[in-house]
Amino acid sequence: MTSNPVTPNPAPGVVYTAPREWTRVHPISPYLGSGPIFGFLAIYGLARISPSWVVGDSDEYEAINMLPFWALSGLVVLAIVGVVGFGLLSWRRNEFRIGDEAMQHRKGILFRQNKQARLDRIEAVDVVQPILARVFGLARLNVAVAGGAGSGIELSFLRLGDAEALRNEVLALAAGVRSASNPVPDAVAGDDAVSAQAGAASLRDLAMNIGVTRPETAVPAAPERDVYSVPTSRLLLSVLLSTPTILTGIAGLAVIVAAIVLGSTVTDLLAELIGTSLFAMVAFVAAIGAYFWNQINGGFKFTASTSPDGLRLRHGLLETRRQTVTPGRVQAVLVRQPWLWRTKGWYRLSMNVAGYQEDQERVSTLLPVGTLEDVRLALSLVLPDVTNDFLERAVIGTGAEDGFTPSPQRARLVDPWQWRQRGVRAGESALLIRSGRWTRDLMVVPNERTQSLGVSQGPLQRLRHLASLHVHSTPGPVSPLAANLDVDAALDLLDQQAERARAGRGAARV
Amino acid sequence: MTWYEPDADWTYADRKLITARCIVLWAVMVFIMADFVVFSFVFASPWIIGTFVTLALGLWFTWLIFRSVTAHAWAEREDDLIVKRGRMFRSVTVVPYGRMQFVEVSAGPLARAFGLATIQLHTASPSSDASLSGVRAADAETLRDRMTSRGEARLAGL
Repeated sequence: MTSNPVTPNPAPGVVYTAPREWTRVHPISPYLGSGPIFGFLAIYGLARISPSWVVGDSDEYEAINMLPFWALSGLVVLAIVGVVGFGLLSWRRNEFRIGDEAMQHRKGILFRQNKQARLDRIEAVDVVQPILARVFGLARLNVAVAGGAGSGIELSFLRLGDAEALRNEVLALAAGVRSASNPVPDAVAGDDAVSAQAGAASLRDLAMNIGVTRPETAVPAAPERDVYSVPTSRLLLSVLLSTPTILTGIAGLAVIVAAIVLGSTVTDLLAELIGTSLFAMVAFVAAIGAYFWNQINGGFKFTASTSPDGLRLRHGLLETRRQTVTPGRVQAVLVRQPWLWRTKGWYRLSMNVAGYQEDQERVSTLLPVGTLEDVRLALSLVLPDVTNDFLERAVIGTGAEDGFTPSPQRARLVDPWQWRQRGVRAGESALLIRSGRWTRDLMVVPNERTQSLGVSQGPLQRLRHLASLHVHSTPGPVSPLAANLDVDAALDLLDQQAERARAGRGAARV
Repeated sequence: MTWYEPDADWTYADRKLITARCIVLWAVMVFIMADFVVFSFVFASPWIIGTFVTLALGLWFTWLIFRSVTAHAWAEREDDLIVKRGRMFRSVTVVPYGRMQFVEVSAGPLARAFGLATIQLHTASPSSDASLSGVRAADAETLRDRMTSRGEARLAGL
């Protein structure tokens, strides 16, 4: 994996290493985030020169037009100088280094921030490349540790090679490979061209490399083996077969019907609803397209592989993301089947990883859309102990089938839609909870990963002699809840599950 | 009544918590009642009805406070702590010592005046809602120390 002949390195012979002394991020990184400011300036320019059908006759742009031209150009210059100056200052104060125990990051001009991520607490390391960073061959490194929101380290931006070197070394160190037994970083330390100034790359290095590059790193990436991937055709079809698509279709039909009933043309009605300016139309299309775009962008070329470093996931169309979740860090898994996917036999998998606090929708997908075979493979990767011979029936089954404890029929009063689908099954190694009438859900929580357990009961539930079992997991898309069980069953389950979790923890510690 | 009653050594919340909570409740209620009295003089006499409605509400809330405080209890078992609370909406939470990330003891000015404290147990899950209200301040410190030392002995990581 260390050298891939597909794309030549911009500087042949460069071996990227992770810095042991304080190192700055890449100098242009502050400006990659200042897109909004320049976007505003661009919009202003457009509004200034374009005819009224582009932006509409909105009052919002009146204020801009009232200022004289010299004042506006002055403002623009001031904005550019301010952005550049502030960027330089913040770049000077944005440094990181890696040690044997922890990774450190300090930044901030007025309010200084000093973060430290202990290597043995690292849950996941992601290399993210937003489209703009990809153009410049840069990447962001997200190091996720367990410990609440904002506890992770985010380095933006580094050269892709530096980011990969850092990731490989952090993961190798976290896996217990101490650099004492691995002399590679020291051997390269004398080569000051790369090691001491990993962040201060000259502008000549900013080659345009949109393709996938495999820079050579001092600590090579652990070998990985692809396990499953999502074909683009399946992803596109799965996005079409979704409730938002149906809703958009219904809305379109409604507009046509309304146009016929009201006796006006469809275009007139749309113009009435949305507005006639180009901006309004773009905004309308963007609002509708955002969901579809997120689904496609997040799941594009989704590939999962295994490596000694842990589970690796790569995906993304414009913004690419390469995640590494260290072994045994997946706290719970949700197997979901929306009703339109039932005939296709497709499922979606999401997971809880303790370190993933921000942007959970994007980072917590284990499989955007896959067949039963993919689901089996994925589960065997993240929860190897969970036996899943009856997986399909566990998802689509109802009542007491397959050893599930169902919701009793008296739950109909409080839970008219899905009482028949609700059920819970305490397995040897994991608790399985299913629910959902149209969108079928199966939640899998390994016993040794349960944080705490609870049983709750409201007044209506008491009337019907019911109670709900809560399994508390780390923050994420999976919040396991077995609602409306029989009271005695729920309380029994609470006792048994507390005991199983205790046994599981004991086994995991040895 | 079938609810969670394992033969554990339940410690109930101190009854002084009822007094403390009632002081806060009635401070608000008396203020609202006074407002209605003023209204009845300034605008029209029917406003006085509000006073009686507030009084009735206050009495009902007092009853709820009494019921919920007397239902709140916890028990230390060998490997975990059980917390039960509530009567109308009741719940039981089992928190293993090995899962505790940290234990937080807090006491506001009113609670301190009554010699009470609140102990909040934090696990890696934000939904483990395990807090003990109405702990005697003298017991709170020892309870916290006992729980942290047990947590360290049984710490299971994540």
